[in-house]
Amino acid sequence: MNLRMQYARPRKLDQATELLDALGTGAMVIAGGQELMPYLNYGRISPSIFMDISGLAELEGIEETAQGISIGALTVHRQIQINPVINSALPLLSFAAAQIGGGRQVHNRGTIGGNIVAMHALYDIAPALIALRAQIEVAGNQGLRTVPLTELLVETDHDLGTKTLLTRIVIPAMDPASGWAYEKLKITEGSYGSANAAAIVLRKPDGDLQVDLVVGAVAEQPVDLTGPLSERLRDNPDTDLDEQIDAVCQAVITDPISDQRGHAEYRKAMACVVAKRAVAAAIKKIKTS
Amino acid sequence: MTKQYVGNSTSTLDHAAFVSGRSTYTADHIFPNQLHAHFVRSTHAAAKIKRVDLSGAERVSGVVLAMDGMQAAEHLDPIPHFVDPIVFGGKTTNLRCLALGQVSYFGEPVAVVVAKDKKTALYAASRVNVEYEPTQAVLDASDAIDSNAPRVVPEWADNMLMQVPFGGGDCAAAFEAADHIVKTKLKVHRQSVQPIETRSYNAVWDHRESAITLYATAQNPHPLRYVLTNALRMPENKMRIVTSASGGAFGLKMHGHPEEALICLLAKLTKQAVKWIENREECLLTGGREQEHEVDFAINADGRILGIRDHFLANVGAPGGTPGWGMAFLTGLSMPGPYDVADLDVLANIVVTNKAPWSSCRGYGKEVTALALELGIDKAARELNMDPVQLRYKNFIKSDAFPKKSATGLIYDSGDYQGVMEKTLQLIDYDGFRDQQDALREEGTYAGIGVAYELTPEGGALPGTLVAGYDTSTVKVDPSGFVTVLTGVTDPGGGNRTGIGQIVADELGVEFEKIRVVQGDTQSCPYGFGNYSGRSTIVGGGSAALAAQDIKLKIITLAAVMMEVPEETIEIAGGIISTSADAGSQMSFVEVCYAAYTRNYDIAACIEPPLESTRTFKPGLISHTPDEEGKINPYPSYSNAAYAVVCEVDIETGKVSLKKFAVVHDCGKTINPILVEGQACGAVAFGIGGMLGEEILVDESGRQLTTDLVDYTMPRAADVPPIALGHHDTPNPITFMGLKGAGEAGVGGSAAAVVNAVNDALKCLNVEVLELPVSAPIVWKAIQAASLGSTETES
Repeated sequence: MNLRMQYARPRKLDQATELLDALGTGAMVIAGGQELMPYLNYGRISPSIFMDISGLAELEGIEETAQGISIGALTVHRQIQINPVINSALPLLSFAAAQIGGGRQVHNRGTIGGNIVAMHALYDIAPALIALRAQIEVAGNQGLRTVPLTELLVETDHDLGTKTLLTRIVIPAMDPASGWAYEKLKITEGSYGSANAAAIVLRKPDGDLQVDLVVGAVAEQPVDLTGPLSERLRDNPDTDLDEQIDAVCQAVITDPISDQRGHAEYRKAMACVVAKRAVAAAIKKIKTS
Repeated sequence: MTKQYVGNSTSTLDHAAFVSGRSTYTADHIFPNQLHAHFVRSTHAAAKIKRVDLSGAERVSGVVLAMDGMQAAEHLDPIPHFVDPIVFGGKTTNLRCLALGQVSYFGEPVAVVVAKDKKTALYAASRVNVEYEPTQAVLDASDAIDSNAPRVVPEWADNMLMQVPFGGGDCAAAFEAADHIVKTKLKVHRQSVQPIETRSYNAVWDHRESAITLYATAQNPHPLRYVLTNALRMPENKMRIVTSASGGAFGLKMHGHPEEALICLLAKLTKQAVKWIENREECLLTGGREQEHEVDFAINADGRILGIRDHFLANVGAPGGTPGWGMAFLTGLSMPGPYDVADLDVLANIVVTNKAPWSSCRGYGKEVTALALELGIDKAARELNMDPVQLRYKNFIKSDAFPKKSATGLIYDSGDYQGVMEKTLQLIDYDGFRDQQDALREEGTYAGIGVAYELTPEGGALPGTLVAGYDTSTVKVDPSGFVTVLTGVTDPGGGNRTGIGQIVADELGVEFEKIRVVQGDTQSCPYGFGNYSGRSTIVGGGSAALAAQDIKLKIITLAAVMMEVPEETIEIAGGIISTSADAGSQMSFVEVCYAAYTRNYDIAACIEPPLESTRTFKPGLISHTPDEEGKINPYPSYSNAAYAVVCEVDIETGKVSLKKFAVVHDCGKTINPILVEGQACGAVAFGIGGMLGEEILVDESGRQLTTDLVDYTMPRAADVPPIALGHHDTPNPITFMGLKGAGEAGVGGSAAAVVNAVNDALKCLNVEVLELPVSAPIVWKAIQAASLGSTETES
């Protein structure tokens, strides 16, 4: 614990990454503070320097680019809920952001970047972002790189928040013909989800379904069921869809978490339930032209 | 006498300050050179303390003092128990503010650091080095009673704090004679009460008088002063306790907590003001309600309950100074609730373990009585294929049977239990729901309805303790006609000060706006016992009414002289004094008050100034002289209520959603409907929260896992369905205006109704959940087990 914390607020991204590189392990990056402030109040974290990134214009704004919608890391949950560009191009993301707990205060302070960097098993945004095939821009002293979120989550040396900064999230616009859903199961209104699932379903020209499906809050990281499910659908075209989802969940979710939101057996079973419900709801939303 | 205020939803005296965030709470007080304390707490549930090294903390700049248990024991005697178990035939132990030699629960205070600011204290506390030698912790009550179990208190022969039987009649014969025996095993989990405002103490040293003023979150300031001055070896009159606006109490702020005396000691040693504010993690260490029951009903074919047997285990955690353990005693004493059952065999096994000590929780054990009885009755209804409502009607005490002595010796004042239940069923449309239930099932909706009853003995008085039953108020009227009421009762936030103000305004015949009610300051208020047990309006309002009546007599005497009319013609209302002897003649209340103080040598010589009176209301019915069976009745008042709830269960996830709730209660006489209904709704939220989400968990070594409100999920607005409220008051014959309590009841009744509704919804699947809570994972597991069971039977 440190009694005399220092505070830095760089105005340019390159200054920020240089400073981070120079500071080493004692620095901690803060933006909306929704993750760190409670820990700070309890004395559980005590960096020697807080680096406040809220002054970095490079991390702000929502833009339409050739690669998709580019969302600045500092964008707060409330903006994601109400921004017209995101509403129309990424309705799944707007909906998932509205399911974040903590109420309006958290939605107005918490940022999408902070939510991702926390890499918290129970948080809401990641399953939707994975289903949307989000790419993450990361800035470090070596420059900028772009990496799919799924890969970033398994990297052990991304150094986010200590040496590198998450700057933007780039997401291809959803196919307007697709149906989508985000299902979250909570024991009570105030609790974290016991399981959640993001689904995007598109009917291909041949009539088959293309299902992007990610479940969260069941393992340390969101579990992308898309690949295994599509294999099963290809190999067993005549089996009931719910049975296929069940089978994939059973096979892929090998290490469910156990906490106050439910024991491991329950979590795995609930992942199956929300996955099926999300896919069913998404299918209902497919626009028939 | 016309009642202008009693019975109306008068706005509370302090609502504007509360709503606009301008109320002063205990933690808001700051004094010059204010110091701050931070506690070092045990990281083990059971361990010997080998060494406490304070030097790391003492070296931190800004630290004024650091102290361990050995040093604290030099200055402080053991904390007197709020209610010592030994008084009731149990075991006792010396309770220390800081652990001495060993720790017996996770989170027990081991050392304390005082520094110039909170942050420095927190930092320095992290540099206190405690060397532990962990020992085997015992966490379950059933393990703790094993003869080989480690002892929570090493000098005790076993872990049984107290084993106490309740009951009467011949239960064995009743079970012999009965047509059916229905056995119900239920487990109630550890829960906690979590007011928005946690505990806080700020002790200020007074050099001139060598005295302490303690600003405290305290429900019972005068008894707290007794306890603290004893522990501190100070004269009782050298301490003043001041309470402020309360952000909820629910029993948590009844005293006996180790921090209370210690903060006073730190002020005495540093000769400065020392403050401590409990954080949420510390607050969540407090808990209660954890019990395991085996309730057996002996029932005749016609549904008449002949006898009830309930031998239960209560896991009260480590010994503590608060009256927490007494909740388990009350669970037994409150049997058999509203039912007319004379043959009763209850055995309370009150067991200590290495969990944190129980602290009082709203309901005070009576909520577990309701759970045991009401879950048991519903199980009987299911097994005997009877309607659960009709089964209750067959066994309720009849409304003409009061006063009614229960099998445990309580004397119930009044009630119309069936009438209350009937009104509740109308509010929730019980018959309408039953008509639809099967159709809903066919559509795939598993809906259920649950009812429950709760009888709540309130206003308790225990012989030989500062749980006194009676209370005292002073009413003073100024020369300008303004009225100050000083009460010995306190207001945990429920609004009794407003209710008491309404009563006094009506008794005196003055405007409510002229009344000021002062509570919770030992220096200005009469000696009193604070708030607990739904008593404050009964005894605070009753004593204030008596005092107001005294003053009114003086005013009438004087007014009659001044108006030259007979006293019996005088009427006072709305601040105007009139006489039936002369329709045109009037005086203001203010004129007469001024004369009372200023004309004492002529016209006002007929009365003795000042316009002040101090009176005590001592409710009857309480009996501390044991009857021929050795039983006493510590309670003057028995509020009661019926609860009904409609739920739906998602059988794929186990999630319970509540659709509709109805409550009808009998609080004797309603002083202020909106306040009473607020209390009732709060109790319903308590009951719902406790059954759906709230649970304190520890790991296998006894470390607490539930450390914040993200894990201890209290109900949000969306979890609580619309609540239909009704009143069905039967006046208590022995209290002022017929009052019964209205602040404590309702936790157990609403909890039991929720569980009964879930089991009603799942009856068609042969699923029954009696291990609480009925949270989604537990309900899901029960559904899985039943469906696996039925698959096996089929194959």
